[in-house]
Amino acid sequence: MADSSGTTLMDLITADAPPPPAASYSSSSSVSSTVAGQQYQPQQVSTKTTLGEKKSKRAALLQIQNDTISAAKAALNPVRANIIPYNSQKRKKKPVSYAQLARSIHELAATSDQKSSQKQLVHHVFPKLAVYNSVDPSLAPSLLMLNQQCEDRTVLRYVYYYLARILSDNGSQGLSQGGGIPTPNWDALADIDAVGGVTRADVVPRIVNQLTTEAMNTDVEFHARRLQALKALTYAPSSNTEILSKLYEIVFDILNKVADVPQKKKGLFGAKGGDKESIIRSNLQYAALSALRRLPLDPGNPAFLHRAVQGISFADPVAVRHSLEIISELAARDPYAVAVALGKVAAPGGALQDVLHLHDVLARVSLAKLCHSISRARALDERPDIKSQFNSVLYQLLLDPSERVCFEVILCILGRYDKTERTEERATGWYRLTREILKLPEAPSNSKDKSQKTRRPQPLIKLVMRRLESSFRSFSRPVLHAAARVVQEMGKSRAAAFAVGLQDIDEGVNVNSFSDTADSVDSDMNDDSHPEDIRKATSMSNVGRGKDTIAGMLASLMEVVRTTVACECIYVRAMVIKALIWMQSPYESFDELKSIIAAELSDPAWPATLLNDVLLTLHARFKATPHMAVTLLEIARIFATKVPGKIDADVLQLLWKTCLVGAGPDGKHTALEAVTIVLDLPPPQPGSMSGFTSVDMVSASDPKSALALQRLVQAAVWFLGENANYAASEYAWESATPPGTALMMLDADKMVAAASSRNPTLAGALTRLQRCAFSGSWEIRIVAVQALTTMAIRSGEPFRLQIYEFLHTLAQGGMQSQLSEMHLSNGEDQGASGTGLGVLITPMIKVLDEMYGAQDDLIKEIRNHDNAKKEWTDDELKKLYETHERLLDLVSLFCYVPRAKYLPLGPISAKLIDIYRTRHNISVSTGLSDPAVATGISELIYESKPAPVQPDTLDDDLVNAWAANLGDGPAMNRVNEFLAGAGTDAPDVDEENIISRPSVSYDDMWAKTLLEAPELEEDDVRSSGSSSPESTGSVETSISSHFGGMNYPSLFSSKPSTYSSSQTSIREEPPPYSSPDRYNSFENPLAGRGSQSFGFPDDERVSSGNPQFGTALYDFTAGGDDELSLTAGEEIEVEYEVDGWFYVKKKRPGRDGKMAGLVPVLYVNQS
Amino acid sequence: MLMAVLISNSVGNILVERFNGVPSEERLHWRSFLVKLGADNLQRASNEELFVASHKSVHIVYTVLGDVCIYIVGKDAYDELALAEVMFVITSLIKDACKKSPTERLFLDKYGKICLCLDEIFWKGIVENTNKERIKRLTRLKPPGEF
Repeated sequence: MADSSGTTLMDLITADAPPPPAASYSSSSSVSSTVAGQQYQPQQVSTKTTLGEKKSKRAALLQIQNDTISAAKAALNPVRANIIPYNSQKRKKKPVSYAQLARSIHELAATSDQKSSQKQLVHHVFPKLAVYNSVDPSLAPSLLMLNQQCEDRTVLRYVYYYLARILSDNGSQGLSQGGGIPTPNWDALADIDAVGGVTRADVVPRIVNQLTTEAMNTDVEFHARRLQALKALTYAPSSNTEILSKLYEIVFDILNKVADVPQKKKGLFGAKGGDKESIIRSNLQYAALSALRRLPLDPGNPAFLHRAVQGISFADPVAVRHSLEIISELAARDPYAVAVALGKVAAPGGALQDVLHLHDVLARVSLAKLCHSISRARALDERPDIKSQFNSVLYQLLLDPSERVCFEVILCILGRYDKTERTEERATGWYRLTREILKLPEAPSNSKDKSQKTRRPQPLIKLVMRRLESSFRSFSRPVLHAAARVVQEMGKSRAAAFAVGLQDIDEGVNVNSFSDTADSVDSDMNDDSHPEDIRKATSMSNVGRGKDTIAGMLASLMEVVRTTVACECIYVRAMVIKALIWMQSPYESFDELKSIIAAELSDPAWPATLLNDVLLTLHARFKATPHMAVTLLEIARIFATKVPGKIDADVLQLLWKTCLVGAGPDGKHTALEAVTIVLDLPPPQPGSMSGFTSVDMVSASDPKSALALQRLVQAAVWFLGENANYAASEYAWESATPPGTALMMLDADKMVAAASSRNPTLAGALTRLQRCAFSGSWEIRIVAVQALTTMAIRSGEPFRLQIYEFLHTLAQGGMQSQLSEMHLSNGEDQGASGTGLGVLITPMIKVLDEMYGAQDDLIKEIRNHDNAKKEWTDDELKKLYETHERLLDLVSLFCYVPRAKYLPLGPISAKLIDIYRTRHNISVSTGLSDPAVATGISELIYESKPAPVQPDTLDDDLVNAWAANLGDGPAMNRVNEFLAGAGTDAPDVDEENIISRPSVSYDDMWAKTLLEAPELEEDDVRSSGSSSPESTGSVETSISSHFGGMNYPSLFSSKPSTYSSSQTSIREEPPPYSSPDRYNSFENPLAGRGSQSFGFPDDERVSSGNPQFGTALYDFTAGGDDELSLTAGEEIEVEYEVDGWFYVKKKRPGRDGKMAGLVPVLYVNQS
Repeated sequence: MLMAVLISNSVGNILVERFNGVPSEERLHWRSFLVKLGADNLQRASNEELFVASHKSVHIVYTVLGDVCIYIVGKDAYDELALAEVMFVITSLIKDACKKSPTERLFLDKYGKICLCLDEIFWKGIVENTNKERIKRLTRLKPPGEF
């Protein structure tokens, strides 16, 4: 590496340059040599020769920045820096800029008939140009000239390569879809080349015309170029309908000529040894189908399907693959039409059978998909013959030597659909896999030996298991990962089968029994016939012989899967764990899984994203089998304790919540225990209470995870307070026990005993919270007290009283001395409240005080009325009702309670309140008087989310409240996204990443907007008066800070004057912040507003100046952030001129969202 | 869909990149993610040893060959195994182009040729040719099936 270390991509550009033209280029090349480090953005360096001072200033800034970076690099990498002399010597070669390369092409194109020119092009110019993702349109004329005049094959191949790239450009910023270094804009060359004035709009039609002519050229000598021309044409973006229709025309034209000829000479092993004519035909078939594959699908077009079907019989394997891919896509939409169109091709001995032996893995994968779509199509229910035909091919592919194909078939059998995952489909998939057999069709007579061996019918499950087991023995990580993924999918289907309650799920059945009898049964693989067959088979065989039962096979497979956890690749391990989670049977012990996960999580190598993925898998598993809630919670607990710092607390909480709801009446207690076990963990402060270790060792050694654990405990405490009543099915408003005044006389111990005998779940939660309120950290104590208050308000007696007493003691600080002896001896006054929670608790106690006081008053009143035997007057009732409402308001401030049902005055008040309500026609619904409404909480609480299906005991209102609390927000989105199997967005790299996080985030954008704001303001000032060149400074500021902010690994190590560059992350131009799709994909509405307020100067200020208007003469594409793209004919407002550039404003933002910027003077027609 | 093919040198500078269907603002994330994967795992890896990773529904296969690291990102039909096949084609073509396991210098010397090879292996996110001889013919502007 040491000797090649100086050979970065920039060297490639700079070494052995063609002689750089000297004239009129000195200034720009001197700049580029001093700032070689910025070469990857030649447009920044060498484009604005006309901008005089502006440019030199920017160059100076870049230079300073570059020097700083180099110095920093040198300091960081002293060893590497030693090589600098060697390197700088090498560096004396003149650097080549894009502009120079472009110029060389123009020059060499003119002399392309000379050998030396061709050599120069092939060895120097074209390869160097390849580092840019494309070339600018101004090169097109020269490329087209080369295309017509040059005869060197390699030159021509490059020409097609670059023409294709020009076509694929989407036109703005030289930043094509493909990535790579942005291509400098053509205007960069305007000053050094007379070709100026060429735009994309000019050249694309010319390129298309020429390529079209070539693609239609039937001359045999021209054959190879014809194929390349067609290929280059397919690069055009599919949004261009004109080119698209032309392409369809060419493709179908070719196919019309070559597809219909019957393929007589198709040998078994490809098309070797064919005659010239058939080879040319085959090549054309290939090129046409390859182009067709890249065109948008045209399902309504019978010719499309027809040609694709013909393609299956072509000799070229790639052509066959493309046609199968097209057909399988079409089959997913309209299986009937495809099945009919395939007709003979699919018959035994037809071309489809030949694909089974085709030497192209992806073709066979497509065949599997095609067979799957057709054999499962509802539309073909009346044609079981067709379905079984395709089914048979599908099953045969199970024996494919390639894992890729075999796994695809397994997934197809399992009923894995791409988008719409249906439980029934999955369940049927599992049934199919476990029950069906592979019976090879009668082999053609010529291969007797083979067929003898394989003809014996084999149960699918046996084949699959054997295959998977052997895959798990592979050393290849991709194979292991894929195999684990397949097992995961198996688990999903199996879970679905369990969930649906498919009959005959008995996994003790001996699978051989079916294949033994299969011959006599003569099954035609029709679903309906199976259950009976199996029963017959089961009765015939003498119950499973151990290993050959499904359960036995699964067990042995899972054994192999478990050992794969030893793989050193973390991603394989993650997939294995997911597979294990899915394969976990609800009826088996999960201790092994638990210990595997616990052991895995102790490994610090696990990245957070993967852990969260596993957590989301638990969500998915819960969704598939809700009755496993408790098991899943227990597993989730391991995550909470082992890696609190890495998991997404929101997702975990959501899992707690959903599992708690899903655990059902019987499991609720265990579920709550599983969640709150977190509270039993030792507090994160190291050292303290270390004897308090629970089942799980907590790993919160570093401060970050300690903090995360604390947050998690906080969340758990909150969760407990919020949900304990639900888990315990204990609600004040449903309580059967009357508010036991008698209970008040019990002492504390008896009260606790009474409480726990009445409702152990709630009593347990209460005890935990009490401990937290007393001994947790400050933050946890606060949450605990709040949680206790919630429980006090929601629970009936004796719980409320118990909490009331606890809070009271806590507020007075007496509790501490009672519960802990630590403070007895120290003699210090602990203050009014030893717990420090007095301030917080007081209002809570006040509410409870008021409730108890009001209850006492009510009882007194009732007695008075009873004793005096008088009716309640309306006024008295009104007073009572007002107290009720006031208390309700107060209570609602602390937690959610159903206003219609909640009775702060106790159950006895119900009757009286009811009387008053009916008398005065007061509806129960809440109005604006609700403090929750007043404080804006109601939107959270009453938001009507569809509540999950609940057991009867569940209080709907409360669940709605939860849903509002947890149901929306990012966690839910993440879970839903995961369940949908979506997500191709880029991953976030962990913060501790060596490379600083690439930042085209919203923040950056924001920062950029802010940076630009003063610039614009300055411009405005200028526009109204003086136009000083100084003002360009701000542009540079924004640019340099822009680059300064970018620090990620990159493209094309800039390789500046110091060697150390290869060590550090190197910057490349980020996708321009004004790139067109940027705004489209930007969802944050603020961005729009941001650019409104910052990007566009205020209207009045503009109008106060003396603006000149004009129109754009030509298209202009911005080459830098300070420039503005124009479309010819666009109306603009000229603000001021600087060095040959106008600062202009558009009436409305362009596709890149920009409204103002610099454009060359010559592009504007001033009116 | 073949979402991306990236080739970087051993210190994480990207030499070649081809994206398909990846929004420009996400490319930076992909670059750093992949380069970090390489930095974490490829240091001690032997030539052409395949590594695997995944992110949501996207598969990643990567390897090291001489001084260059190659990363392939795909989804849907292009799972780990399909990507491994593509990787095999790419590595063997790079080896052929450089005549041996490439140093960075060698790789850059053959840069143009490698770009042309990649252009024949896949384009528009779809894998095209996987046969080495065929690819070589095509890069020399000869038809796939010769007569």
